[in-house]
Amino acid sequence: MTEEQKTSVLSVDGLTKDYPGVRAVDNVTFSIQNSVVHCLVGENGAGKSTLVKMLTGALAPTAGAMTVNGKAYVPTSPQEAREGGIATLFQELHVVDELTVLENLTLGMEKSRFGFFVKSDLEDRVTQTLATIEPAIDPAARVSTLSVAQKQIVEIARAASSGANIIIMDEPTAALSEREVERLFTVIRRLRENNVTVIYISHKLDEIFELGDTVTVMRDGKHITTCPLSDVDGRAELIEMMIGRTVFQSYSPRGKIGEKVVLKAEGLNTKLLKNVSFDIKEGEIIGFYGLVGAGKTEVARALFGADSFDGKVTFHGKPGGRTPKEAIAKGIALVPEERRTQGLFTSLTIRENVPVMNLPRVTQNGVFKAEDVRTAAQEFVTQLGIATSSIEKHTEKLSGGNQQKVVLAKCLFSQADLLLLDEPTRGVDVGAKTEIYEIIKDLANEGNAVAVFSSELEEVLGICDRVFLMFDGCLQEEIENGPNVDIAHILNVVTGGQDEDAR
Amino acid sequence: MSSQSKTAEQSVASGAANFLRNYYIYFVLVAIVALLSLANLDQFALFERGNFLNKRNIINILRVSAPILVVAGAFTLLMVSGYIDLSIGSTMGLTAVIYAMLAINGMPFVPAFLLTMLAGAVLGAINGILVVRLNITPVIATLITLSLFKGIALLLVQDGVSAIKSGGGLKMPAWFNDYGRDGVFLKLPAAFWVAVAVTLVLIVVQNRGKLGKYAAATGGNPTAAKLSGINTGRTVFLLYVIVGVTAALAGIARSSFMSLGDPLSGDGMELTAILVVLLGGTAFSGGEGRVLRSFVGALIIMALTVGMLTIVPAYYQTLVIGAALLTAAATNHLVSQKGKVS
Amino acid sequence: MSSVTDTLPSGPTRSKMSDEGFISSLVAAVAISLFLIASLLVPNFFQWQNVVNLVTNNWAVIALGVGVSFLLVSGNFDLSVGGIVALSGVLSVWFAQSTEGANALSTGLGLPYGLAIACALLGSLAIGALNALFVVRFGIPSIIVTLGTMMVARGIAQVITHGSQRNTNLPDAFGYLGNLSLFGTSIKFPVVLMGLLLVVAIFVERKMVFGRITYWIGANPEAASLSGIDRARHITKLYLFSAGIAGVVGILLASEYKSGFSNRGLLMEFDALVIALLGGVAIAGGFGSVIGMFFGAIILAVVTSAATGLVLSPDWQFILKAVAVFLAIVTQTWALARRNK
Repeated sequence: MTEEQKTSVLSVDGLTKDYPGVRAVDNVTFSIQNSVVHCLVGENGAGKSTLVKMLTGALAPTAGAMTVNGKAYVPTSPQEAREGGIATLFQELHVVDELTVLENLTLGMEKSRFGFFVKSDLEDRVTQTLATIEPAIDPAARVSTLSVAQKQIVEIARAASSGANIIIMDEPTAALSEREVERLFTVIRRLRENNVTVIYISHKLDEIFELGDTVTVMRDGKHITTCPLSDVDGRAELIEMMIGRTVFQSYSPRGKIGEKVVLKAEGLNTKLLKNVSFDIKEGEIIGFYGLVGAGKTEVARALFGADSFDGKVTFHGKPGGRTPKEAIAKGIALVPEERRTQGLFTSLTIRENVPVMNLPRVTQNGVFKAEDVRTAAQEFVTQLGIATSSIEKHTEKLSGGNQQKVVLAKCLFSQADLLLLDEPTRGVDVGAKTEIYEIIKDLANEGNAVAVFSSELEEVLGICDRVFLMFDGCLQEEIENGPNVDIAHILNVVTGGQDEDAR
Repeated sequence: MSSQSKTAEQSVASGAANFLRNYYIYFVLVAIVALLSLANLDQFALFERGNFLNKRNIINILRVSAPILVVAGAFTLLMVSGYIDLSIGSTMGLTAVIYAMLAINGMPFVPAFLLTMLAGAVLGAINGILVVRLNITPVIATLITLSLFKGIALLLVQDGVSAIKSGGGLKMPAWFNDYGRDGVFLKLPAAFWVAVAVTLVLIVVQNRGKLGKYAAATGGNPTAAKLSGINTGRTVFLLYVIVGVTAALAGIARSSFMSLGDPLSGDGMELTAILVVLLGGTAFSGGEGRVLRSFVGALIIMALTVGMLTIVPAYYQTLVIGAALLTAAATNHLVSQKGKVS
Repeated sequence: MSSVTDTLPSGPTRSKMSDEGFISSLVAAVAISLFLIASLLVPNFFQWQNVVNLVTNNWAVIALGVGVSFLLVSGNFDLSVGGIVALSGVLSVWFAQSTEGANALSTGLGLPYGLAIACALLGSLAIGALNALFVVRFGIPSIIVTLGTMMVARGIAQVITHGSQRNTNLPDAFGYLGNLSLFGTSIKFPVVLMGLLLVVAIFVERKMVFGRITYWIGANPEAASLSGIDRARHITKLYLFSAGIAGVVGILLASEYKSGFSNRGLLMEFDALVIALLGGVAIAGGFGSVIGMFFGAIILAVVTSAATGLVLSPDWQFILKAVAVFLAIVTQTWALARRNK
């Protein structure tokens, strides 16, 4: 790697993406050199994923231009992006389990004649590529026999042998063990030696310092800086650049928290969770904050009985539910992470969605009391401010915020006294967000316990009385919310930093 | 397959499970043949005196097996791609009628044969269009064509007659029978050898062809297939066409064997095909399945059904096939569960 | 609370018709127009008796359609009903036949008629349980499972009847239920029973928890589970329900013809599926109605009887069904997309 080789392979110029009412990416300009590991960091909502979607051809920019390998670059699909020189490793795996490693590596690139494969150097080439980055994988093995980490490496090898010289990796370590992460890093370094540029997106700052050459920081859709990582003075400065002064704290103690413990979790263990213990008190809002994959959703699902787990959950002094049905019967309700696939019956109306979690309340001998159902639905429409012309409206036609309110209405209708809210404001516009926060506070003030699972710090610090910081399946720290909360410290903990670096 | 043993970090037990998974079907075939060979067949008129493994018996079974043997491979590839065709029985019936009509009206063997194959391709293409272009669920789309093709076949045959056959001034040509009955090699008819040839071609397609690999990719991970630039719609369409053509070959074999064009001659074929393919270890979820194993599965079913006739009356057949279908589905499920654990 | 209801548009009067209502009306409108068109083309078609016949001649399929529709709404197929019709009919005959017959096919178990039909019904429910076991516990696609159980059910019927039928040595009571005329009219008991079933089914579908749960499961299985619905249990109930209906239909048909015929109900599973699809029940689940299915049955009946009236060969029915289902699926998809644009 001589100096001459370090030319710009990717540059974006004035790139902008507007959504109705929001500018997700705002006039971003930077360029990336050849054969580096370039990290892209920023908080949730900073515009990273929108930027990546434009790079992969999933979204068209509103304004601005991109140049790849010296040529204008306007992709409209992942294939075009790859042909232009950019391959992407998405968070979900795109390998075919039923084929062998070699068959996966050549998929879609085979040379054939009359529909039958002909000998070409393709197989040798991809085998070579695979051998360079990870010799331990047998090209003849079936992909279904590989681990997740190995499958990921197969995908990387495919990207590398497809002719792309830029590979985007979006949170590639989210599902990997520590040892596997090390292996991945070795692979990435080998790629760099072989003239491949890696754009590496991660929340885990340690990884970034360990692996990265250069970094681009984004915040609120804007480009903050692009510089060599050696110029950054440790985690503290990077965090400073990521958060700026934007975290706005609206938390005011509500002072109504009871003493009675509603739920006690002791030593929860699942595939991901490690010995998670905590309690929730009456009238309290607690928050679970951590990055994607830190285990927040797993805690919520365990408490709700949706996943099996080892450990003990005590709810009002009795064992918690082992199935959602039992949990609901005992008074726990969950607003799931994925609103459209897990929370809502999108093909049904608001009226039909509301009563599902507490049928005895509106039925008699198995027959609905139609008037009660309507009244309940209308009451929630008013109470939660659901913007709709009628309760007979199909929920798929509502906005994200209003859909979320319907899911909330479902849970409230169950009259649970513990509400688990997993990413309650994801994909919700600002106005509705504030409304949902008010609803959550009202609920707590009425004596209900609420647990908010969120990857948005602002959200957690805005409403929660106590916050548990999660990293890698563990509860790292418990924090009392208040005016003196050290945001840099929180970000440090959830990105895997040790306590010593805190100051 | 040797590669499989090389990956080898697996325990002996899971290695054995894998071996069982890949080769159990051959043992099943051997076991059934052995079992039937033990039965004393002297009392049954249908068979030559003596053993089940009597040459005449084997030739008989292979002769009547030609239709299912010829469709099994293509049907496997279609199911590997995650799709299904419930209309093959009707396609078979309709093409049998077409073939018989062409022959009885004086068309020579070769053009009649080719035209019928073309008809099968068109019928398969109709399925492909309904599923790929119009986006109708495969089960429903092919149920529609099941009914449609059957209706057309029935209408092609004159009222009051059950099938296209000699009579009323028209006579089946003398060669009509040869394809399905006349021994050409090892005393087995051309229909059987065509089935073998089709299977061999499809084995090559599966191992060395684009279509075979793309079928597995489409069934295994459609998103990945699309991201790799594979036109999954075209793959599926092509597979429907091929299934149509093989169903036509089955129709020709059946009508030649029976010397008539019976519109209902393919009834229940879709069930036998599903059964055979499941028996061969093809997963309903797509991605998995081998042409050769389905071929063996077809031999098992034919040995079983024909062999069974030596022991129990014919009216046990539906029950046995139904029960076999459920058993195959359940074992398939259990085996694939085990595969996931390892 | 009253202030709340005052401020919002309330009640069904002002709300827009539901999509299901829209499709059902569409199907009904098509059924009526087809009837009128057929009346113009076919001599003597436009008669009250003919309208009655359209329903009474199809009571069996309409009844089966109820169970099949509920399952489709939940996202599952049931192709076993035709087989169950044959099985339960044959079983009821076999159980009721007296023990001293001249040959194997005229010798039964000699049970009293009441007990015989109860046992036949149990046999049907066993097939339903088998469906549920394979679909719910093993997670095997319902289409494959119910094709298998269809053959098993019909296969057992064939074994019991030696591939033909049993019709001798039956008690006098055997032919009573299937031929009983009610209210001094020509309307038979099975038709009335079907009418009752329809009313109950519509009530269950619209007003009862059981019906709504079916829609919730079909609309979004995962959300249903996370909302505390026991999916496995409900689908098991639906398969038992469908098999039960098929069992009763089989018993009544056996009674009507005083015979247990192993080929009875052949292709009925197909017709039940066809009328459900014609009536706008979506195979994707979560959508459809019993009323729509009923009018779907009328459409099929009008089309096939008009074809007979036009002296078309009965073989036309297959093509007509295929075309009708194709058009129904395409137009319903189109109409819904347009309406919801």
